[in-house]
Amino acid sequence: MSRKEPILRVEDLRKKYDSTEAVCGISFEVRPGEFFGLLGPNGAGKTTTIGMLTGWVEPSGGRVEIRGMDLYAGPRDAKRAIGLVPQSFAFYPALTAGENLTFFGRLYGMRGKALEERKAFVLEMVSLADRADQSVGTFSNGMKRRLNMAVGLLHEPALLILDEPTVGIDAQTRNGILESLRRLNLNGMTVLYTTHYIEEAQDLCDRVAIMDHGKIIALDAPRALIQCLGKGIIRMEFHDTVDESLLGRIQAHGGITRVDAPRKRVHLETDRTAAVLRDLLDLKKNGQLLFKTLDVMEPDLESVFIHLTGRGLRD
Amino acid sequence: MHQIVAILAKEAKILTRDRQALALLFAMPAFFILVMSYTLEGVFQGGSKSRPVEVAVVNLDRGGLSREVISDLRGVEGIVILEKVKGIPLTQEKAEVLIRQGKFPLALLIPEAFSERTMALSMDFHQKGAVTFIHDPATSVRLLSGIKGTIQGIILRRVLLATLPARLKKAWAAEMGPFAGYAGPESKNMEGKIDDLLASAGKKAGNGPEVAFLSRPPRGHAPGRFPSATEQNVPAYTIFGVFFILLTLASSFIQEKKEGTFQRILSAPLSKATLLIGKLLPYYLVNLVQIVLMFAVGVVLFGMKLGNPAALIIVSLALALAANGLGLLVASLGKTEAQVNGLSVFLAIILSALGGMLVPAYIMPGFMKTLCLFTPHAWALAGYQDVIVRGLGVRQVLSEAGILLAFAGLFFVFALWKFRFR
Repeated sequence: MSRKEPILRVEDLRKKYDSTEAVCGISFEVRPGEFFGLLGPNGAGKTTTIGMLTGWVEPSGGRVEIRGMDLYAGPRDAKRAIGLVPQSFAFYPALTAGENLTFFGRLYGMRGKALEERKAFVLEMVSLADRADQSVGTFSNGMKRRLNMAVGLLHEPALLILDEPTVGIDAQTRNGILESLRRLNLNGMTVLYTTHYIEEAQDLCDRVAIMDHGKIIALDAPRALIQCLGKGIIRMEFHDTVDESLLGRIQAHGGITRVDAPRKRVHLETDRTAAVLRDLLDLKKNGQLLFKTLDVMEPDLESVFIHLTGRGLRD
Repeated sequence: MHQIVAILAKEAKILTRDRQALALLFAMPAFFILVMSYTLEGVFQGGSKSRPVEVAVVNLDRGGLSREVISDLRGVEGIVILEKVKGIPLTQEKAEVLIRQGKFPLALLIPEAFSERTMALSMDFHQKGAVTFIHDPATSVRLLSGIKGTIQGIILRRVLLATLPARLKKAWAAEMGPFAGYAGPESKNMEGKIDDLLASAGKKAGNGPEVAFLSRPPRGHAPGRFPSATEQNVPAYTIFGVFFILLTLASSFIQEKKEGTFQRILSAPLSKATLLIGKLLPYYLVNLVQIVLMFAVGVVLFGMKLGNPAALIIVSLALALAANGLGLLVASLGKTEAQVNGLSVFLAIILSALGGMLVPAYIMPGFMKTLCLFTPHAWALAGYQDVIVRGLGVRQVLSEAGILLAFAGLFFVFALWKFRFR
């Protein structure tokens, strides 16, 4: 495989559950050494996508190639190149950390000294070397997250796939995990990970695919996506559902390029943030625009998502 | 292969650390064997008014005595006399088949010329009317001896009544010689004389009963011993315990689904079949260890004789496979741990009861006996009893083992059809 050839190629991948289409024909590539993010709100189809990329979920259509090998035609060789860190703590609480690693290592044909050395290395990497003989059932959530990652790294995969690896942990553990990922990537490991944390995706990823309702609605480097938007977003929240007359009043104001009104919120895009903000506050003072809260957002991936969908990532 | 070994080793470690589950698997059936062997003896007595025992009767005699005997037997509480099955009169061959199949615990064979021979009052044992009991050697000795004693008593009473006038006449003739037809003053002492005469007639008849009673198992069965309570209970409660693997096995599958470990395992380069085999194998081995331990309890504590070891192994291998198949089926039907636990306990107990593990099938009502055949338990017990009680070998247990394998196949096919790793 040449350096330029993608390590992962996804073509028109789709998954349908009964009448619901969870993933609607997505296509993208991940290049060797790249840190690639799948960003989207809960229910966007990220986990289903990860499931299909690891052979766990059978797709309804499309194709997945890992290092040029069709994942569904020759799964064994293709799967050797993948390391999965699922969202759940996928190991056995009754076993020790070391025993868990031994078990998963053997599934990849690892054994003997090589396995022991690799176990020691990954445990050291996630700062669990002194906990190797401790039952995993006694671990804290943060320790479990770290062990979860260690299992995924054990067989030195070419492509590490992580599904929301920082959910439900404290800031310190989260930073530790993100730092480890950064280091791994710098050392040449390709990383594909899903998240709904904008800052993580923005800081870590070379490229981000933004997913919503099973589709990739944007794919580029975070900076390119933000620059493309180039506008500020003002978000107002009202006590009642926003009606047409209110929207009309806002829209009539100068400098507003776009208005979206999901439920009780209004998002304004503007290239004259300061002037529009001043006018909106005047309207409130005069009793013409009775919003509950008002946020001004600098352009970031969240504002890109809002720009594309009319909703926030956590809505 | 190394992947199967890895999964097996992991599963074995987890199993050995779950002491409560292990205690349930091993201590529970052992406890049942110890306690129930003593306390459930009453159930084995059967033959009560509320739970009568069906006795097949084959009457080849054309005389009136046998008809009167059967009529008397029909009036006895606790037994039901059947001369026909589905409207067709029973033949000796049919009765033997039905006993072999466990449909009846006992058949009564009244031979040709029974009435004639009995009335002849012969003193020669071989000339006497002889009634044969054909019984399943696996039937409880307490139940059989009670029923047989009752039937023998009824027959002897009827025979005594029928033969009394002839006996009197014979005894009188022997006493009075040429004066037998004379009714002189001696007739005043007739009552006392009759007593003496009957007593002397009895002695001359060889002190034996008027009817000979023979007892044998149905043709095709080795002449077996009667089973003890242990020989009934050890295999039955072993099977009962073996099917409790459903609980451990099915909840382990649900646990893996819940924890997400199946997802991680299947992202590794191995097939679903490898995962399933590796996952099931330890439970299969646990079942076999269970069987060995339970039978060891029978041998060591109760002196139970095992019979042909190869035949026992064949039945055990098939039994464990059926239990594992049912376990996987439960895992594939239940969506939550609570569902799987409930279904496992329900099936383990209900199928055991239906299959004759808690109450012997032969004292169940007719429809229950039919239902019994739809449980793997009943066939496993039949297989074990063929070996332990009836002294049969490998060839004779192949049919039971085959049916157990068919059950296993059925369970696995349904389970794999319904099973989802997610």
